[in-house]
Amino acid sequence: MKLGPKAAAAALVLSASLALTACGGGGAGAGSNAGGGKTVTALTLGTLRDITSWDPAQAHVGHALQPYQAAYDSLILREPDGKLSPMLATAWKYNTTNTKLTVDLRKDVTFSDGAKFDATAAKANLDHFKKANGPQMAQLGSVSDIAVVDEDTIDINLSAPEPALEYFLSQAAGLMGSPAALGTDAIKTVPVGSGPYVMDKAASVKDSQTVFTAREGYWNKDLQKYKKLTLKILTDPTARTNALVSGQIDATLLDPKNGKQAEGAKMKLETNQVDWSGLLLLDRDGTKNPALANVKVRQAINYAFDRKTILDQVMLGQGTPTSQPFGKESGAWTEELENYYSYDPAKAKQLLKDSGFEGKVTLDVPTLPGAETLISVMQQQLADVGITLKPGAAITNTFTADVAAQKYQALFFNLFQGEPTVAIDQIVSTKALYNPFKNTTPELEAKIQAVRTGGDEAGKLAQEVNKYVVEQAWFAPLFRVNQMYYHNDKVNVTPQVQQAVPSIYNYSPAK
Amino acid sequence: MIKFIAKRLGSGLVVLFVVSALTFILLYTSSGSIAQNILGDQATPEQVAMKEQELGLDQPLATRYFAWLGDALSGNLGTSWFTSEPVANSLATRIPVTMTMVFSAMILIAICAALIGVAAAVKRGWVDRAVQVGAIIGDSIPGYVIGVFLVTILAIQLGLFPATSTISPEVGPEAWVYSMTLPVIALLINGVTGGAQQIRSAVIKQLERDYVRTLRSRGIGEREILFKHVLRSAAPAGLTVLSLQLIGMLGGVVIIEQIFALPGMGPLAVTATGQSDLPVVMGVVMYTVVVVIVVNLLVDILNGWLNPKVRVS
Repeated sequence: MKLGPKAAAAALVLSASLALTACGGGGAGAGSNAGGGKTVTALTLGTLRDITSWDPAQAHVGHALQPYQAAYDSLILREPDGKLSPMLATAWKYNTTNTKLTVDLRKDVTFSDGAKFDATAAKANLDHFKKANGPQMAQLGSVSDIAVVDEDTIDINLSAPEPALEYFLSQAAGLMGSPAALGTDAIKTVPVGSGPYVMDKAASVKDSQTVFTAREGYWNKDLQKYKKLTLKILTDPTARTNALVSGQIDATLLDPKNGKQAEGAKMKLETNQVDWSGLLLLDRDGTKNPALANVKVRQAINYAFDRKTILDQVMLGQGTPTSQPFGKESGAWTEELENYYSYDPAKAKQLLKDSGFEGKVTLDVPTLPGAETLISVMQQQLADVGITLKPGAAITNTFTADVAAQKYQALFFNLFQGEPTVAIDQIVSTKALYNPFKNTTPELEAKIQAVRTGGDEAGKLAQEVNKYVVEQAWFAPLFRVNQMYYHNDKVNVTPQVQQAVPSIYNYSPAK
Repeated sequence: MIKFIAKRLGSGLVVLFVVSALTFILLYTSSGSIAQNILGDQATPEQVAMKEQELGLDQPLATRYFAWLGDALSGNLGTSWFTSEPVANSLATRIPVTMTMVFSAMILIAICAALIGVAAAVKRGWVDRAVQVGAIIGDSIPGYVIGVFLVTILAIQLGLFPATSTISPEVGPEAWVYSMTLPVIALLINGVTGGAQQIRSAVIKQLERDYVRTLRSRGIGEREILFKHVLRSAAPAGLTVLSLQLIGMLGGVVIIEQIFALPGMGPLAVTATGQSDLPVVMGVVMYTVVVVIVVNLLVDILNGWLNPKVRVS
């Protein structure tokens, strides 16, 4: 918004007089739109950051997907519990070798620019996604080509089986934009999709708020529960808390500390475990830290932690202690691995003694911003068994590149617990960023390969990968963290599996 | 006076050029693999190489700087690597928010600090002591603490103002004013207390000078002495303090804008720096340097106008 000199002067005088007299009224927030017993037609959500581009090929996964869901439909809809349901795709089926996915498409869908959604449009989107060099381009990495079978059917041909492909088609790779807009500069700032809402460009301010209005004639009214949707960008957690408790927004993501204030204001809490926190013991071949090559040292590190106490004291109990890096909903999770490394300092000391590294283990880890307290607690608990933890410089914006460049031998981090192959390609396989030293064994490779070709059994087969990395103590997980999503009583919210914030379809007006 | 302004402008341009070159070199040689940051942790080395080429990061540093400089001189500050938005557009939408807030605060600081400072210097006694105690308290409480306090009391508990910004084209100027009020108050309290203290000292110093005694001995009234002579002589000190406060406020406003979720320069600077969005960081640095140069120039001109000796020196 630009102010002319007169308006600026008027604003100044008004603000001064208001400041002095402390009179005036509250801001028009979600509450005033929705309150007064009238039908709720507007939803205002506090989001952590603005999107980088409205080009669907630049979309991200999980909670970062929420804004795109307002403007774009995806081929497959992911239900709150993770089940995959039809959306723009009505049905899909693999061939016997899991190398071709045939997808049937809806015939009654148009984009906001009037273009028709059909097989050609779907192919254009998938082709665009494959070459647009977006942050999730790897989602279609195993796709060799897309063939139009007929007006409402495509074949997605794979160079190798990809058990997560259907999941990817419910995420960034599945978002469908108007073919005419794909690759243009215009779509970077204004989305052109077939989704339930269209962006109100005039009311939107970059990095401040994005306003959407319900799209006329949307094909699925069940997914379009509001007339107006505003995503208010609030990067600061205190600002998000203030906006929520003062009624400016209906729902937002908070942390345990700010959550207390929201609870005091009678906001409702939905929790959901998405990430795990802990140490990544990256240098498992001992390239930079010979002690880490010894599995007994890595296991000793795991036994040194009193996970429950750390969780209670540092995270106010918001999470679940765990010894495994794979998520509960991934299929790879098993009960037996949950407390595989219980707190046992005596055993940790014995393992260190047996390893021959007693009194000689030093772990250098960078300092994760905001995790200073946690790192100092870990430092103390490791010191109790004779391991020195040396927190180094803070993680900077070169972090990703530094990890890839093997700068860190160990690392404290929070990591997403996604689908089995997603998690494997994030932290276990030799192409995973968080396996920078490319550690592997033939045994592990065989287990990973079994997951990749496992089709519907991939989750179960990934339990073997999970068991291997836990037994070999590749990591020292501490706990799965509660994502704390608060909302007021004007809105019903259903948490979404593996997402910090729910999908846009999971909100509805409270009766 | 024109020669004086021209000289100041010339030195300002030299500063701008030097800062731009140094900032560019420092940013572009110390930001690691920006392409990897843009693409995220799933990106392959091939993707990273493709992105680096796309951003021109495979070109020599000097080539990139002079290309940037050439574009900047024609008003094109490049495009954000993360939002695809032209940097000039980002600045154009954010500068009015920040500058309206800063200038509103500065005008209020100038008025309030002058009134309080002069009152303390002239009245002395309990007024003076109260001002000094107030200055210590005001200086010792950071603006963001005041901001949080104001939000808690006036916005959340009393509901008089919005807790975070409602600045957007869909709301009228009234909502805009409400949004600005608390941030402006949070910004100005430190300034008023500090400024009043400086003006008090400057006025007391002038009141103790021989020329004031001479004027009094000629029977000229206290009011005329104060407003016609003392304030004019004390003004340069006050102006310098105000200009320093304005420059300092450019830093303080970053936190205030974060707390109140105002879409000003602060969040842009924080986000761009955190992401290594270098075209935007360069734009923010250039904006800041230009503001500092302009403020210093204005203070020099005003001081020169008030005191001709400054122009000669």
